[in-house]
Amino acid sequence: MNHKRIPRIGIGGPVGSGKTMLIEQFVPLLSQKGYKTAIISNDVVSKIDADRMRKNLASERGLLPESLVIGLATGGCPHTAVREDPSMNISVVEEIEAKHNTDLDLIIIESGGDNITTTFSPALADYFIYIIDVSSGDKYPRKRGLGIENCDLLVINKIDIAPYIGADLKVMENDAKVVRKNKPYVFVNCKTGQGVQEVAEHIIKDVLFEEPPKTVINKTA
Amino acid sequence: MNIKNLDLTIDEISMLQLGDSFFPTGMYTTSSGLEALFYNKRIKSKEQISEFISVCLKYQLGPADCTALSNSHKAAQSSDLKTIIEIDDLLFSMKLVKEIREASTRSGTQLLNCVLSFINETPTSENIYNKDNNSSKSVISSYFDAIKSKDAHGVYPIALGLASNVLNITRERACMLLLYGFTVSIVGAALRLGMFPHFEGQQIIHSLKPVILEVIKKNIDRAHSKMWQFSPGIDILQISHERMDSKMFIT
Repeated sequence: MNHKRIPRIGIGGPVGSGKTMLIEQFVPLLSQKGYKTAIISNDVVSKIDADRMRKNLASERGLLPESLVIGLATGGCPHTAVREDPSMNISVVEEIEAKHNTDLDLIIIESGGDNITTTFSPALADYFIYIIDVSSGDKYPRKRGLGIENCDLLVINKIDIAPYIGADLKVMENDAKVVRKNKPYVFVNCKTGQGVQEVAEHIIKDVLFEEPPKTVINKTA
Repeated sequence: MNIKNLDLTIDEISMLQLGDSFFPTGMYTTSSGLEALFYNKRIKSKEQISEFISVCLKYQLGPADCTALSNSHKAAQSSDLKTIIEIDDLLFSMKLVKEIREASTRSGTQLLNCVLSFINETPTSENIYNKDNNSSKSVISSYFDAIKSKDAHGVYPIALGLASNVLNITRERACMLLLYGFTVSIVGAALRLGMFPHFEGQQIIHSLKPVILEVIKKNIDRAHSKMWQFSPGIDILQISHERMDSKMFIT
């Protein structure tokens, strides 16, 4: 379509790794700086994630319109929906772009929970965040997989539980450095928001290129 | 268009390309109401699934989608964009369920987007898209422009009709692609719902081949002014799918 492309972030990761909660944590940080976002949530079986984000971010806090939190079913193929055949996601993105081209700064596409081989089609997402969590063991980054190796930003969540399950964060950090060849990674605790500011800063720098929000640009134009 | 010493054409490969479930149209996200039937425990056996597909083909896709495709393919050959948009509007209005309408227009738009991305890149000296076919190229582009400007909806059968025309796939074969693609997408949905093993899926597809041919024969020469669809039971079921809280499929 002809609309100017609004920057898009893809967020992938296994079921329960904290994709939805990460979005719930960084959207308010972007909103504080005036950036307006839309969210497309690809659920595997239900629309629980989309409903939760609509309630928490839109209905209760008014950080974005309810209509800009969209749930999308994937026919049981969460990989396919963001990589081999992202047609439905791209259609929804283009519909959003057609309506909100002048005021929206960022479109967030959350993939359905999947395994470590998830990646996003470059036609769908400009920047790819992959999230894993400590509960799966400190050898997780070492196991590699396209998601862990290729993403633009690796987020390692639930660092607070490391002492309780005998996970060594230093091991995870060293392995992440080796496997990702020094591409960025961030340790977070999405329950408390610890580390999420750093994720927001990566988005502002690497996706939005530190441009001011569109609403600010429009006011001064 | 014949490759030397081979009784095969590029057009036939194009047909395989458009008919392949790997072709990106997002059809794997739809079940056309089968998911609702499954969770309501109203459909269990292989025979019932076969019957469901057969009813959809005979009373929904045949007299509506197949006829629309056939007429839009014909209209594309004479670059008659006005008629194409008229058929597009008519078919859109016959899709009574919002989920089905949206899925069809999204698939159609993405199909066009994809085909337009490669038809101008002739890959061999065979000149696949022959010089006389420039009008086909322009009518598919004009239709896509009409969708962008909201003068057309972009329903899937029309998009497939225009894409088939530009790739020199005959009207008959294009209708076959439509109905076969639908059959495979429903059988695929049933497999992912765990309704039967993979061999049985192929058995269902095989058993429906005569139905596909019969439906094409009955509907390919129907005028678009005589399009119809009547399957109220399935319409209601598809509407009930819209209201399901937990679902794997868009429709």
